Amino acid sequence: MGGPAILKEVLQRFFSKPVTIQYPFEHVEVEKDLRGRHYTDLNKCIGCGLCALECPADAIKMEKLPEDKKPKRNPRGLYPVIDYGLCVFCYRCVTVCPVNAFIVTNYYHLASPKKPDSRDLTLKTLSGEGGGGM
Amino acid sequence: MGATKVVEIPVTLEIPIGPQHPALHEPLMLKVYADGEEVVKVDVNTGYNHRGIEKLCERNSFYRNIFICGRVCGICNTVHANCYVRAVEYLMDIDPPRRAKYLRVLAMELERIHSHMLINAIMAEILGFDTLFMYIMRDREKVMKAKEILTGNRVLADYMMVGGVRRDIDEVKRDRLLKILDTVEREAKRYMRVFETDDTITKRLIDVGVIKPSQITRYGLLGPTARGSNIKIDARMGDRYDAYDEVPFNVVVRKEMDSWARMMVRWEETLESITICKYALEHLPSDGPAVPDERRLPRKFPPGESFARVEAPRGELTYYVSSVGKQIPYRVKIRTPSFNNIINSSFSYIGYSIADVPVILTSYDPCISCMERAVVIDTERGVRKSVSLRQLAMGEI
Repeated sequence: MGGPAILKEVLQRFFSKPVTIQYPFEHVEVEKDLRGRHYTDLNKCIGCGLCALECPADAIKMEKLPEDKKPKRNPRGLYPVIDYGLCVFCYRCVTVCPVNAFIVTNYYHLASPKKPDSRDLTLKTLSGEGGGGM
Repeated sequence: MGATKVVEIPVTLEIPIGPQHPALHEPLMLKVYADGEEVVKVDVNTGYNHRGIEKLCERNSFYRNIFICGRVCGICNTVHANCYVRAVEYLMDIDPPRRAKYLRVLAMELERIHSHMLINAIMAEILGFDTLFMYIMRDREKVMKAKEILTGNRVLADYMMVGGVRRDIDEVKRDRLLKILDTVEREAKRYMRVFETDDTITKRLIDVGVIKPSQITRYGLLGPTARGSNIKIDARMGDRYDAYDEVPFNVVVRKEMDSWARMMVRWEETLESITICKYALEHLPSDGPAVPDERRLPRKFPPGESFARVEAPRGELTYYVSSVGKQIPYRVKIRTPSFNNIINSSFSYIGYSIADVPVILTSYDPCISCMERAVVIDTERGVRKSVSLRQLAMGEI
């Protein structure tokens, strides 16, 4: 039986850098392949709706494309919209997509005053502007 | 006609511990009856966290259920998913390649390391040793990072898939994982020494919550709780599922039978798990693709039933999956270790002081979100009653 065994470390820690990361002022370093925000590339999407069927959280809804957006290979004119508030980031949609239409990022700052979904990011992909996120 | 008999009831104090209490991290209510400082009776009240996951599984497809079952519990999500996936694999007669099995073992052992470190940290916090709590949590973060490297997320791994795993690792990731495991091993050994020698810990834990081996078998307690009372029970050793038939490991048991023994079993298992992880990383076979193409997995599920069990960080976890040949399972039954450990634990508090109740409860490593199961409520009359499993099975409710 001894005394306070970690006293030495406690004293040492007075002079070292704090371990706590002051998010959101500093950002946590995450892996490149962390499952973060993902959205559909309309140039590839065929609107089959398999992602919406397979989503375990029912976070994906198939919506009608706007009138001015006409992708080449999308006969039904549907595209998936991911509700990031419902999404559990399991990436099942990414792995079941028959045409690999999902763009994956490791972006995780999803707190927002408005309801976060993938609509804007997805629609931007068609006009060649590219989605934000990284 | 005067009263002929007077019943005098001695003064006892009824203390509700929970459902919201600083010592409990999840909603559970212990109704403690105390005679002075001494606990004379404990009622365990549950039902604050019931989410109906088993029913949800009956309405979702087999593949969607992998992710739903992973969310029964946050800390042990990989083992839940693994157990369900293996039950479905037995049903469909699929055998994943050895490489996938090794990666599954690796993910599950990483989870065991961080789960055991978490409960030891919480034990330190409950004893009032907040410095140690912070230090252990700081080093646990390294294990979470290792899990992020392997699976793609810190906590909810979503790593298991029928026929394999969902991500493979390369040489770079392997070396990083080995490096992290070396650091964690060094730190775990240091904390284990603190738990062995520090007066703050030993005075609160030793000879508190003694459970005899006969009580363990009578009440059906599992996992580190049983192993802390010298009962050698371990589903990894019993079933030799996944790659545990090739990976060498020891089942840790201790003879002290008290709360301290249960915590020490967890520390020794942490070290054992680190050894297993290192072995799995160094002997990773390359016999086939570990990651199946999820678009080409079979969509037909034969009728039948299957049963799988797995050694979760808290004890033996079992899944029973029944199929009638449709896209959705007919029944998914989950039996978690905390269900046995917490609901049957009321005998072990008796005779100790009120201050020991949170210590004894924490030494069981309670996982309330795992254990919430059926309670029958008659909505017409507003009556709540408990029924035995036999009555439930016979439809007598």
